[in-house]
Amino acid sequence: MSGLEASRITITAGKKLLIDGVDCTIPPGSVAALVGPNGAGKSTLLRALAAVQRPDAGAVVFEGADLFDLPRRERARIVAFVEQDTATETAMTVASVVGLGRLPHQSLWLEETANSAAIVARALEATSMTEFVDREFASLSGGERQRVMLARALAQEPALLLLDEPTNHLDIGAQLAVLTLLRGLAAEGMTVLAALHDLGLAATYSDHVIVLLNGTVVAAGPTAETLTPELLRKVYGVQASVLTNPVTGARVLAFSPLPDAG
Amino acid sequence: MASRSTNGSSPARPAIIGVILAVALVASIVVAVTIGPANITFGEAWGSIGSHLGFGTSPLPVLRDGIVWELRLPRVLTAAAVGAGLAISGAVMQAITRNPLADPYLLGLSSGASLGAVSVVLLGFSLLLPVAAFLGAMVALVLTLLLASSLGAITPTRTVLAGLAVSSLAGAITSLVIFWTATGDSFREILGWLLGSLAGARWPAVAIAVVALVVAGIPIMLTGRVLDAFAFGDVSASSLGVNVSATRWGLLTATALLTGAMVSVSGSIGFVGLILPHGVRLLVGPAHRALLPLSALVGAIFLLWADTAARSLFEPRELPVGIVTAIIGAPIFALLLGRRRSET
Repeated sequence: MSGLEASRITITAGKKLLIDGVDCTIPPGSVAALVGPNGAGKSTLLRALAAVQRPDAGAVVFEGADLFDLPRRERARIVAFVEQDTATETAMTVASVVGLGRLPHQSLWLEETANSAAIVARALEATSMTEFVDREFASLSGGERQRVMLARALAQEPALLLLDEPTNHLDIGAQLAVLTLLRGLAAEGMTVLAALHDLGLAATYSDHVIVLLNGTVVAAGPTAETLTPELLRKVYGVQASVLTNPVTGARVLAFSPLPDAG
Repeated sequence: MASRSTNGSSPARPAIIGVILAVALVASIVVAVTIGPANITFGEAWGSIGSHLGFGTSPLPVLRDGIVWELRLPRVLTAAAVGAGLAISGAVMQAITRNPLADPYLLGLSSGASLGAVSVVLLGFSLLLPVAAFLGAMVALVLTLLLASSLGAITPTRTVLAGLAVSSLAGAITSLVIFWTATGDSFREILGWLLGSLAGARWPAVAIAVVALVVAGIPIMLTGRVLDAFAFGDVSASSLGVNVSATRWGLLTATALLTGAMVSVSGSIGFVGLILPHGVRLLVGPAHRALLPLSALVGAIFLLWADTAARSLFEPRELPVGIVTAIIGAPIFALLLGRRRSET
């Protein structure tokens, strides 16, 4: 087993320490959730793990290879990154946005069109965006854009998929659809790491969880053992109760404010 | 319903438009050299050109033959090459700064290039003309981007304001340099550089513009797919395997080179780089592999006819071609600006 192994990741902005010597390990073929309060450094850490921002120190190793040592295009065939809140001034269609995902697989002058078109079509289907194929990206809702960007990442055919708040802007049905899709991708062997705001979704859909607070990992491990009421009280300052979903039998978290101490 | 391509528009369409535009460009060159104050017929004009290419003898007396071969043809060819170069520059700058208002003129490159060019001409080092124009363009570009980033996040509107400041300054220094050193017709000289004019374009100008197109323009056009990746910003481009900073600076340098070379033969002609790529996008969409070559063709045709209008509409009086492009381009610029009202 190797999957994603990041060690001693440190990122500073000016004098401010954003990420302080973070280690994290994600087994291959699993869904991991990166959780933590606002400003904990989730997006910053994800950019480093996606190898789009070089950390000041530390290494990001996937399947035995240091991602920062790989040629860029080769790396982009292995790792895909879905950013939060993407926007463009360009009047691109959904099809051409998703087609960008084929870029690392194509020579710069020749497009392998038949194969690419099939992969793009599959990515759109997986994200339920097929009917939007000819729409202009800028005309879509936030949730629809989010799904197009996920489709673009899938068109890269990555082995490692990193997502920053992929359920933002989505209604509950679409949130569950995206997370179910991520579970399916992991079942096929993809390693998935998603920053999630919603602890309930993290508890239900992830195998592993990494809890980030002020740029350091305060807990990491199998989700059920890690997201405990004690930890959530410490990190978020809330009272958490573990319930069981009457339909699925899955663990569900319910939250309430801490009773006034004193 | 017929099965539809997942590539948006079918790839055949840009190719067809390209062929139509290429034919239109050749036809424009053929017709434009026969237009002008001296009464020379179509047959005579092309008989003259043919004779210089080694086919038969010129039907025109030496003086009138010179009008076609030494004045009109090089001017028409220079106009086409400059138009193509400016349109490519504009399209690339729009992609790489993610700024629909980017253009070598609005961002100060053209004024910087003019200043560089004027300085060496007046110092007597005319051979260095394109190099000095390139350096001027590069310095102006860096100043504009620095100024824009010092105002806060680099937004399109801030970049244009920064470009305005840089180009006003460069324009003022250009005028000062000419007033200080030039004898004779300073006003005409200043207008030529600041407004753009092809009145002085002879064969050396053709050579400079065409060489710049081949050396900088063609490599730029081959990076179309990479430019597409910039649509969602740097992080996104990087995650698609693009070396963002090397690509950005490489392309901006190539753009400055192209703009510098064009300005060194034409002065700073505005709006060609701004409006034509927008027009071409409406036709074929934003994919750069089609956008760049088609913008080049449209830019060539546009500037060729703008210059033909500038030299023949009010004959014998001649307008600087920059006036013609500004009259057409400024309202379109206002329109583009209006669409961005919401942003500061």
